[in-house]
Amino acid sequence: MSNLLHFSEHTLQEIALTFMALVYVTRITWFLRRFKAGTERQAPSGSPQTTKAKGVLYSWANVAMPWAMESTRSRPFMYVQFVVFHLGVTAAIALSFVIPYGAELLDSQLVVLLFQVIIGAACAVGVVRMIRRVSNPYIRAISSPDDYFSVALLTVWFFFAVLAAPNSTAMGEWHLLTYFLLTAFFLVYVPFSKISHYLYYPFTRYYFGKSMGYRGVYPLRGG
Amino acid sequence: MSDAKSRSHKAQKVIDRMGQKLSRQIAGSMIACVHCGMCIDSCHYVLANPGDPTYAPPYKADKIRKLFKKHFDWTGRVAPWWVKAGSVYTDEDLQELKDVVFGMCTNCRRCSLNCPMGVDFATFNRMARGLLVSVGVMPEGVAVVSKDQWETGNQMGVLKEDYLETIEWMEEEMRDELEDPDAKIPIDNPDCEVIYSINPREVKYDPRTIADAAKVFHAAGESWTMPSEGWDMTNFGLFSGDDDLGASVAKRLYEKVIELRGKRLVISECGHGLRSTQCEAPNWAKFDVPFEMESSVFTMLRYIKEGRIKVDKSRNPKPVTYHDSCNLARSCGVTEEPRELLHLVCEDFREMYPNRAENYCCTGGGGAMSMSEYTPRRLKSGVVKANQLKDTGAEVVVTSCHNCVDGLTDVIRHYELNMEVTQLVNLVANALVIEEKVAVPVERVPEVAVADLPLAGRRLVVADDEPDQVEFLAAVLEDNGATVFRAGTGDEALELVRREKPDLLTLDLSMPGRDVGEVFEMLRTELAFEDLKVCVITGRPELRRLIYDRSVRRPEGYLDKPVSEESLILNVRKILELAHEHETVG
Ligand code: SF4
Ligand code: SF4
Repeated sequence: MSNLLHFSEHTLQEIALTFMALVYVTRITWFLRRFKAGTERQAPSGSPQTTKAKGVLYSWANVAMPWAMESTRSRPFMYVQFVVFHLGVTAAIALSFVIPYGAELLDSQLVVLLFQVIIGAACAVGVVRMIRRVSNPYIRAISSPDDYFSVALLTVWFFFAVLAAPNSTAMGEWHLLTYFLLTAFFLVYVPFSKISHYLYYPFTRYYFGKSMGYRGVYPLRGG
Repeated sequence: MSDAKSRSHKAQKVIDRMGQKLSRQIAGSMIACVHCGMCIDSCHYVLANPGDPTYAPPYKADKIRKLFKKHFDWTGRVAPWWVKAGSVYTDEDLQELKDVVFGMCTNCRRCSLNCPMGVDFATFNRMARGLLVSVGVMPEGVAVVSKDQWETGNQMGVLKEDYLETIEWMEEEMRDELEDPDAKIPIDNPDCEVIYSINPREVKYDPRTIADAAKVFHAAGESWTMPSEGWDMTNFGLFSGDDDLGASVAKRLYEKVIELRGKRLVISECGHGLRSTQCEAPNWAKFDVPFEMESSVFTMLRYIKEGRIKVDKSRNPKPVTYHDSCNLARSCGVTEEPRELLHLVCEDFREMYPNRAENYCCTGGGGAMSMSEYTPRRLKSGVVKANQLKDTGAEVVVTSCHNCVDGLTDVIRHYELNMEVTQLVNLVANALVIEEKVAVPVERVPEVAVADLPLAGRRLVVADDEPDQVEFLAAVLEDNGATVFRAGTGDEALELVRREKPDLLTLDLSMPGRDVGEVFEMLRTELAFEDLKVCVITGRPELRRLIYDRSVRRPEGYLDKPVSEESLILNVRKILELAHEHETVG
């Protein structure tokens, strides 16, 4: 292993991770301090089966209940894409830890294959998403350069993660090096891009669910 | 702000005030959108305008979000083009924003419920409305209605005497109908179980609902009253985003209930009224409400369940469907109780699809009915609702919201659906089984003789420049026994009034030729027309000033278009009958 690859797998990742963590902490602090949560003075309304707590849980669980929202219920293919894409992100991040700190795991061809299938599928979804973003007039109209770049970045990163999964230098180091450089860039870039949505997701769904539960809307009734 | 110098005073105020309005929930909604597009076709505007991305909820949201990104978020400050951050600089920019937040969204919250990220666009759209209203940028109708609610305490500018006279009139109607001299609509009785608050629309267009509710309370033997003041449970603050207005309006009502020592405030069927009064206004007003509040739907259902009233569903045999008001279903969780009630009072209930929290807006939400400049856009978006209605095969659509009654009536007329709109209270009152107190047999007249028609012997002039409208109004009035003369301009109206000496003139405010305000003033000042009653019927409420700013006696009636047959007849009767009573008493 070259010094450059070693540096990329270890020191660079550690710097990038620390940076990301610092920015995340700063952002969450800013979010919680700068913006005050509204208080609810009114008595709870709606059905007694709906409460604040139930509303929050329902709201958080929504992501795993594609039948609960018309938007996901009516687009099963989009929902599958969503699941695959996010599994791919998780796997590609996990891989960036496995290679430097638990490479022996990748001695198993099955594990390598599992990483490659999940991340490869996510890469394919990335391509589909990019095509959709460019070709669908609605999505194009709402897209910013950050939206295009984020999808492209992740798709390319997935691609190199697939190549890096066997952790083999038989064909050279360039694919591993590119994967780790992209991972570091990804970690540094994420807090400033829309990819950081997962940081706010628990909050938005928490407040929405809380209010909806308190007012008798969540969990949705009847139907 | 670094670019403050190049910004107009109003635009600067909007940016400054936005900083104060951003709650954590709103800020989260600003940041968390990933532009996934999942919410796009949950919006009725999108469905009605295929191929036009400017109606897409995230597209509209980004018009507001860009301000957040530019002025409050990080990346947008450093590299605005990268995340499409931007600002408002001129008053024209504010006008453009007004067109989006008022004219392209009814704040129905359907997209919010369909966003996997929990982005609540409707809530921050309301915030944006409030920011624009705070600098005086709003549709004229919004300004007019807000002014009315600030000044008169109700959003239709109903005067106290009109309100009390209407209640008195309805009380008499109820007494006659029930043949029960004890039937009353109590006003300002202290220590009652129920204080009943209503929508000013009921006074103006639909007094029948007041009488029907009174019948239900009377039959249930309820200890109830209506307040003489602070009776309006609607709240234009919800639509305009003006929290101060919202707080002030609701406090009038809360304080009146406290003054009367009422145990429970019952809110007549109104989606935004319930949401504002019960859920939002305690927060706006920072007021801890010491009494219970509920929709009259819950009250009526309880009466039936407790056996306090008896109903016979065979009295409502027509096939009915139910339209869920956005505010009730998506902001108050009221979806099952109206259905339970419908099953008890109707023979043939048919579900509409999608329904409950997934129902589509009636198109009249978010105050849209008061913004006449967006009417064509609104009606176009109504195709979604029209198809939903048609597919039910029902003859009657029931809704628990006055705003929806207007929105649906408009859609039904525009798409020529043969349906009527009604509310639960009307159906419950119709299904009421009341034990007769007086055992005198009443002979029923099988056919209505012309002389028995409510407007028999009355002479009316209908003035409107839309031939369809003239024909509609005239036909309804003639069917009820009136002799009607038709005018298409102000001059024609003047000439017909001079020649035919009618009892009442219905007056559109935007007719070609002579200024309608001038026509009105001339009629008011000519001695010969001292007794002439005038009922304004307009689709442009912002033109009311043409008439109301004049120092002559105000019109006796005022109706917003679209007008239903029932409200037209009720209002014309009310004007003529009250005038007759006054003359008799005098
Ligand atoms: S509002 Fe929600 S559903 Fe709509 S584009 Fe944004 S994240 Fe997607
Ligand atoms: S709140 Fe309703 S009208 Fe407004 S964008 Fe969302 S779905 Fe459309």
